[in-house]
Amino acid sequence: MVRSKTSARVAVLEMAHVAKAFGGVQALVDAGLVLYPGEVHALLGENGAGKSTLLKTLAGVHRSDAGEITLHGRAFEQGSTRDSIEQGIAVIYQEPSLFPDLSLAENVFVGRQLVSGGLVDWAAMEKASRALFERLGVNLDPHAKARGISIADQQIVEIAKALSTDARIIVMDEPTAALSSQEVERLFSVVRNLRDQGGAVVFVSHRLDEVFALCDRMTVMRDGSTVGTSLIRDTTDSEVVRMMVGREVSELFPKLEPRIGDVVLKVENLGLAGQFSNISFEVRSGEIFALAGLVGSGRSEVIRAIFGIDRYDTGSVTIHGSRLAPGRPAVSMEQGIALVPEDRRQQGLFMASSIARNVAVTMLKKLTSWLLLRRTREESTAATWAETLQVKFANLADPVDKLSGGNQQKVVLAKWLATEPRVLIVDEPTRGIDVGTKAEVHKLLSQKAQQGMAVIMVSSELPEVMGMADRVFVMREGQHRGTLERSEATPEKIITLATGGAVAS
Amino acid sequence: MNALKNLIKAREVPVFLALVLVIAVAGIANPSFLSASGARDILLGVAIVAILAVAQTFVIVMRHIDLSVGSLIGFTSFLIGDLYSQGYGLWVGLAAALLVGALVGAINGFLVAYLRLPSLVVTLGALYVVRGIFNDYAFGRTITAAMVPPEVAWIGLNRLVGIPVLFLIGLALVIVSGVIMRRVRAARDLYAIGSNPVAAELAGIPVARRVFTAFVINGSITGLAGAVMLGRFNAANANSGLALELIVIAACVVGGVTIAGGSGSVWGAFLGAILLQAITRTIGALGIPQFWQQAFNGALIILAIALDKYLSTRVMATTIMGSKDE
Repeated sequence: MVRSKTSARVAVLEMAHVAKAFGGVQALVDAGLVLYPGEVHALLGENGAGKSTLLKTLAGVHRSDAGEITLHGRAFEQGSTRDSIEQGIAVIYQEPSLFPDLSLAENVFVGRQLVSGGLVDWAAMEKASRALFERLGVNLDPHAKARGISIADQQIVEIAKALSTDARIIVMDEPTAALSSQEVERLFSVVRNLRDQGGAVVFVSHRLDEVFALCDRMTVMRDGSTVGTSLIRDTTDSEVVRMMVGREVSELFPKLEPRIGDVVLKVENLGLAGQFSNISFEVRSGEIFALAGLVGSGRSEVIRAIFGIDRYDTGSVTIHGSRLAPGRPAVSMEQGIALVPEDRRQQGLFMASSIARNVAVTMLKKLTSWLLLRRTREESTAATWAETLQVKFANLADPVDKLSGGNQQKVVLAKWLATEPRVLIVDEPTRGIDVGTKAEVHKLLSQKAQQGMAVIMVSSELPEVMGMADRVFVMREGQHRGTLERSEATPEKIITLATGGAVAS
Repeated sequence: MNALKNLIKAREVPVFLALVLVIAVAGIANPSFLSASGARDILLGVAIVAILAVAQTFVIVMRHIDLSVGSLIGFTSFLIGDLYSQGYGLWVGLAAALLVGALVGAINGFLVAYLRLPSLVVTLGALYVVRGIFNDYAFGRTITAAMVPPEVAWIGLNRLVGIPVLFLIGLALVIVSGVIMRRVRAARDLYAIGSNPVAAELAGIPVARRVFTAFVINGSITGLAGAVMLGRFNAANANSGLALELIVIAACVVGGVTIAGGSGSVWGAFLGAILLQAITRTIGALGIPQFWQQAFNGALIILAIALDKYLSTRVMATTIMGSKDE
């Protein structure tokens, strides 16, 4: 194949030693990416490896702190998104970025509407976008508004937009995450077409089977740095997984010897149309039970259904042998379930309220007498818990907004631990918090489990899953794909189950 | 065929139909309502609100709002008369009105576009600040007919081909703005910004500059419209333009310029203003106590929002179904 002789050709894009920090977090340390015309290039890495940050640097959303970027042999001008577009870079973001109130034709040409005589030429735009849609093999009406069209069609419109700018570099950030298999096939044929016409496509996906089916080369990132680039056909999927995982499971996880007791929570055949189906498991007291899988695999949806935030279509949840009423978080709390949500700022805390109020909010009944909340009781309860969890704060009356991410997470944990739950559900318990606090949170979870609490932990971080869990329940696309005991769980096995790749050796 | 379909789907059509219905009802109940002088009454009465609603559309399509326009137009209408009475000519007055309008728009625009403060709060503040300065400036004084420049008085009194000049000014504005909003690139950016602000940034649209400019345009038109208001009432005082902003925004909403941004046209806002005015007159013509007028207009605003919500979900349903059977 001609394509494989990429080394002889001139690269369209060379990114080297790119670094970027957000506040104190070093999102990119030493990232690089080299792109040749006529290739589909996979960019791989775990969640948080820095893929999106690297791509947003290219898109002009972020400006890198250090590093060289050359485009067509010239220095890349880092300015605004507009500058990137003008330099022939088109980015199709994970989250849809169409304009629902505008027609598809205008969406294709947004910001660059075709004009004749200084005025927007609607007929020409509609004709041109119709031609683009035809070229992409879809039957979309350029006149229709973008509101409500399927995600697959939205992506086609985004690709049409890229084509209309004559972009030589097209970046697709997880384009297949929400597509059906036919839609994926359609997208693939479009991407192959772009490649055959000399375009360079960057393809971000967590699905290894897709990467192997579509891509020519790949670059793997880990912890903000590029760890390797290779030809897909010279690489096996277990090698890819090893590159992605890389590190040893660290000693940061002070896992205590578990004392597994009786079954506390039993989930049977739980299903919700379009989200997940046939989910069954049992969690015992003293056990840390991890739900692993990729972002979007349905893990959060399952725990939301268990706790009663969302309803479910089929199945049942039983706690200590009695059936839990669906869709009633208040009842779940009374029955001893606590849920520490994924997004602490949006779902876990009242950001503008005091630390004390946030901690005490789950126990307002206990702290109230004669219909009035007793402030002294509120404060003493909050103080006790804040101390237990070693929350670092100046004053209990300070708004939680002022605290660091790690301390905010401790406040959320305190608020739920204060309810003395029998089942503690934590969704991404250490996302975005520093290493030291991470270890403290892990220690706390481990202690609580040893004291007899049943812990269900959703986590996208493999080291966390490996280090903490007694059992790992792996999901992919809303389905249970396998359960691994602590003794048999390896990062390779978990990734393989989560991505649907072939079983690694 | 396609053009006809699009016409039927257009959000302006229900507004127009409602207007026809209101006029028909009023005409049957009170034939004098349909006379030339009855129609002129409506057109004369609507001119100011229609002009401000057209200008406000530039801001509302971006998912922003400008509440300072009532204070601003009152101030500039007083200013034009005051400068004239002190011996400055009409043109000095108009230039001053334009300058004040553009300045207030620029301050609002700067705070909203570059400091990213919410426009609702910024312009609510501007409403009071401008009114306060105006009250101090106009303290105890009134602009009387003798202090109004004759050209300004002329536009308030006269007609061309039987149509009040004031209304023709509004009509000219809506025609020009209509072309701009539909066919000038920078104006299309305003719709994109209102429809999806994050995506607008990603698409390389200079969001801050556009937001700033739109506020300046709205302020400038509003400032100049002070002349229209002075011509209409042939007088001004510290209370001129009080609470006008609410009627202006009501006209926009009723005309299909959705507060959520991204959709609606200057023609919709213009028709919305006429519809509100027609209802006010109809209530008078039907002999219903005037107290009911505000309740009617309020109900109409809620109805308009419900209609927008219904239309957008219906559009969504049909597009989804449509893409399935391809």
